[in-house]
Amino acid sequence: MTEFFQSLGLTYEAAWAFATLSGILLIALPLMLAVAMIIYVDRKVWAAINLRRGPNVVGPFGLLQSFADGLKVFLQETIIPSAANKGIFILAPIVTFTVALAAWAVIPFDAGVVLADINVGLLYILAISSLSVYGVVMSGWASNSKYPFFSAMRAAAQMISYEVSIGFILICVVLWAGSFNLTEIVNAQRGHGFGLVNGYVFNLLLFPMWVVFFISSLAETQRVPFDLTEAESELVAGYQTEYSSMSFALFWLGEYANILLMCSLNTLLFFGGWLPPLDVDLIPWFDIPGIVWFLLKTFFFFFMFSWVMATVPRYRYDQLMRLGWKVFLPLSLLFVVVISGWLMVTRYGA
Amino acid sequence: MIQTIAFYLFAVLVIASAVMVIMARNPVHSVLWLILAFFNAAGLMVLVGAEFIAMLLVVVYVGAVAVLFLFVVMMLDIDFAELRAGFVRNFPLGIAIALVLLAELVLGIGAYQAGNLDLGTPAGDAAPMLGESNIENLGALLYGKYLFLFETAGIILLVAMVGAIVLTHRPPKTQRGHQHIGKQNARRPEDATVMKQPEVGKGVEL
Amino acid sequence: MDYSISLRLIAPEILLSVSGLVLLLVAAWGGQKTGRLVSILSAAALFGAGLMLFPTLHLGVVGPDTFAFGDQFRADAFAAFAKALIYLAGIGCLMVAPTYFDRLKAMKPEYPVLLLFAVLGMSIMVSASDFLTLYIGLELNSLAAYVLAAFLRNDTRSAESGLKYFVLGALASGILLYGMSLLYGFTGTTSFEGVRVALSGEMSTGMLFGLIFVLAGLAFKISAVPFHMWTPDVYEGAPTPVTTFFATAPKVAAIALTARVALDAFGTQVDAWRQVVIFAALASILVGALGAIGQQNLKRLLAYSSINNVGFILIGLAAGTVGGVGAMLVYLAIYVAMSLGSFVALLMLRDENGDALATFADISGLSAKRPALAWCLLALMFSLAGIPPLLGFFGKFVVFQAGVEADMVALAAFGIAASVIGAFYYIKFVKVMFFDDASERSVADSTTAHWVLLVVTTAIVSPLGYLVTPSLGDLTDKAASALFLLP
Repeated sequence: MTEFFQSLGLTYEAAWAFATLSGILLIALPLMLAVAMIIYVDRKVWAAINLRRGPNVVGPFGLLQSFADGLKVFLQETIIPSAANKGIFILAPIVTFTVALAAWAVIPFDAGVVLADINVGLLYILAISSLSVYGVVMSGWASNSKYPFFSAMRAAAQMISYEVSIGFILICVVLWAGSFNLTEIVNAQRGHGFGLVNGYVFNLLLFPMWVVFFISSLAETQRVPFDLTEAESELVAGYQTEYSSMSFALFWLGEYANILLMCSLNTLLFFGGWLPPLDVDLIPWFDIPGIVWFLLKTFFFFFMFSWVMATVPRYRYDQLMRLGWKVFLPLSLLFVVVISGWLMVTRYGA
Repeated sequence: MIQTIAFYLFAVLVIASAVMVIMARNPVHSVLWLILAFFNAAGLMVLVGAEFIAMLLVVVYVGAVAVLFLFVVMMLDIDFAELRAGFVRNFPLGIAIALVLLAELVLGIGAYQAGNLDLGTPAGDAAPMLGESNIENLGALLYGKYLFLFETAGIILLVAMVGAIVLTHRPPKTQRGHQHIGKQNARRPEDATVMKQPEVGKGVEL
Repeated sequence: MDYSISLRLIAPEILLSVSGLVLLLVAAWGGQKTGRLVSILSAAALFGAGLMLFPTLHLGVVGPDTFAFGDQFRADAFAAFAKALIYLAGIGCLMVAPTYFDRLKAMKPEYPVLLLFAVLGMSIMVSASDFLTLYIGLELNSLAAYVLAAFLRNDTRSAESGLKYFVLGALASGILLYGMSLLYGFTGTTSFEGVRVALSGEMSTGMLFGLIFVLAGLAFKISAVPFHMWTPDVYEGAPTPVTTFFATAPKVAAIALTARVALDAFGTQVDAWRQVVIFAALASILVGALGAIGQQNLKRLLAYSSINNVGFILIGLAAGTVGGVGAMLVYLAIYVAMSLGSFVALLMLRDENGDALATFADISGLSAKRPALAWCLLALMFSLAGIPPLLGFFGKFVVFQAGVEADMVALAAFGIAASVIGAFYYIKFVKVMFFDDASERSVADSTTAHWVLLVVTTAIVSPLGYLVTPSLGDLTDKAASALFLLP
């Protein structure tokens, strides 16, 4: 895109700045739109599984429900509790929201369609997702109220716990792909299963890791059944209790952007990203743009997230910790050893 | 030009936030400034082309270490009045230390200008670049030249872990609160519930 | 890089780490009751690793054949001598521990495992020929030592000593690392060889700073004055078997390491560090002697005694000659026997309830109650004081001789004068045991393991020890020559 701006007669620096800015806008604005729609989808799926109707009043089939909600919170008054630590209280939702957007910089939507095609893309995502805990912790502390504080403590422990096993799972994928670059990871998945199907999920050694990754991504985004940070029966609304108006909305936007990010990571790391499911040109798979496949797969994972949310009861906190430290961590460590051993024998000739 | 701007931005922010770490009254604010300092240090790493180190800095220090700091510091109950009283009491000592540091600084700069300190004389015999990315380079060094040290560092971590467990782990004294996970998982709905279709106006026999 | 040669050179370390890992698994699955078994197996592992050193030590192998992993690690005769001492001290500390901890119902199999890893760290330290190896070995040793100091976690004194040791040790590691990074910045390398080459010729201020910081960090580890403050507190608070360990093996490792750094990495700048070492030696001798005088607690007294002894050892290093290093190694060997013996004797001083007799008041008139123990202590104390014909005298003698040969007559004379001050409190020890009225505390009988160790160490420091000094001198000369390969 830099070349395009240069052809308009700008210097390289200015063109680069414009290109990056427009790239950011091209990702962030549709993402916000997607978040609005995906909240609607979430509620619809949830309602359907509960044999309810869900939002159906605002707009056709209730499609505009999220926008109505957004307008409502926008017009509300921002209330800052008098005992709150004002600066951090305001900063917390901003951090959550910013961090949720920043991770999207390295996500490739199609071959070459990525804002920053960096070498260490996956590490970048790991780094950024490890930051998302700060929004929660800061808001919990700054609210100066006991339920948000409990929620912040839970969040800190929970996210650190699951990040460890997520890190090991990512290492398994990186070992197999031989790169930290997300584009190369997707390209390495072409024809992975018998030269027919695209995606690491069709690999006997990586399939269990995908299962662990999917569950860990639920825990990392604090979705049901791991939503102990906002368990409404225990903690009112967790760290969001004292928030209102736009700051509350920013939390919601950030949360759903994170969920979408995790869905797209499932797609990119295990399901072949923008590649069609089969590597065979029986029907014109490859004529469909890659971005469509990518969005379809991501949407499928979001459906699974909603499905889980509607059907699974919440974990107890000790069960959550046990699952993270005593089951997932040893399992993923074991698979790092097995996979690197297998690759060493088969690929690098011992 | 972009690099220059970025460098000065990151460098100024590192120093400013490092100053704020020690100036902030509230320890939570200190930790948050520290996180900002880590962040900008990572930015500087990216500028010199060490993107792997930069990411590790964020993942390890910001993502794990600082969260634990914050976790502990958040639970502190700080009495700000007493803090201020301590400040007044220790003020002369603080001034004395500041003067000593200032004198050292002046001496150091003097020595530097006298030409006695020649900063940075790399011999230029570092290991040659083995691959394209610095992950590959680091990997080749860690698992090649420094294999012995790498493995020994693993033993250090093991010792640290064993030590932490030895010093803190207490065997459960009572069985109260002890969970039998296997038993919980083996329990099925049939064992715990019964389906009944009670007629209206009649109770249920249990 | 060909690893097979390197791996053969680090065989003792491999044996130690593998047995440490296996024993950790035994401890994890076997539970608390395996404490004694794991102790015995750890001692066996140390013994096995010691046997592997024999050829190197006997033949006095030095030179490039001993370089492993591209000269990050040297398995030469110097390292082998230090390792042999460390392993022997380690075995001794393993022998005395189970009885002590069993009495407190605190014996855990992790104790011998941690000790094994600490010994592994020291083993790496004495072989280090790269600052990275040095640091890794030092940290491995230190981390295990911090935990060992706090091993009786329900005892506040033990916890306090562990914490103190940890905080000050971390500070010292920081100083050391800072010095190492300065040296790396100014020389562009971390290997001793490279630093040696880069330091030859004019030395810049930055290099001097790096050198001083590295030596300061190491001085903490050998508890030389002015970095000795932690020693009495840690020695007093830590469980006595752990104190026994601290007073023997880590001292050997840190001093051997300091010698290698000083003579190998800084070998071309002897004048730059000699004054530092001389100051540390004199100050240690003086502070050790004067500080001990007022002490009532026996463990604190022995802590000051060890500071005092480190001063004498450093005189050998300050000489900076083959003879000086040889004398230093001889003194180290004798020092290990002496302090092992005296701490074992302290361990044996308990009443019927198992409470330690910790002060002078408790042990007064010991000779009437347990003459054998009192006589052994007498021999050990006189040896520490350097009174002929005990072996401690020989140690001091060779060190002073080396000092005089290196034209440091004043230093040697000062050392001799200070050792007379030091003799005061050793003799006070003996006086209290033999000539004071008996205290009311009874003294319980001890186990065979304690007696064996005490008798063996007493025999070594007795005039019988002179039978082995010729062969000991032979070994130390070969070992010391390893540090003087280059001009």
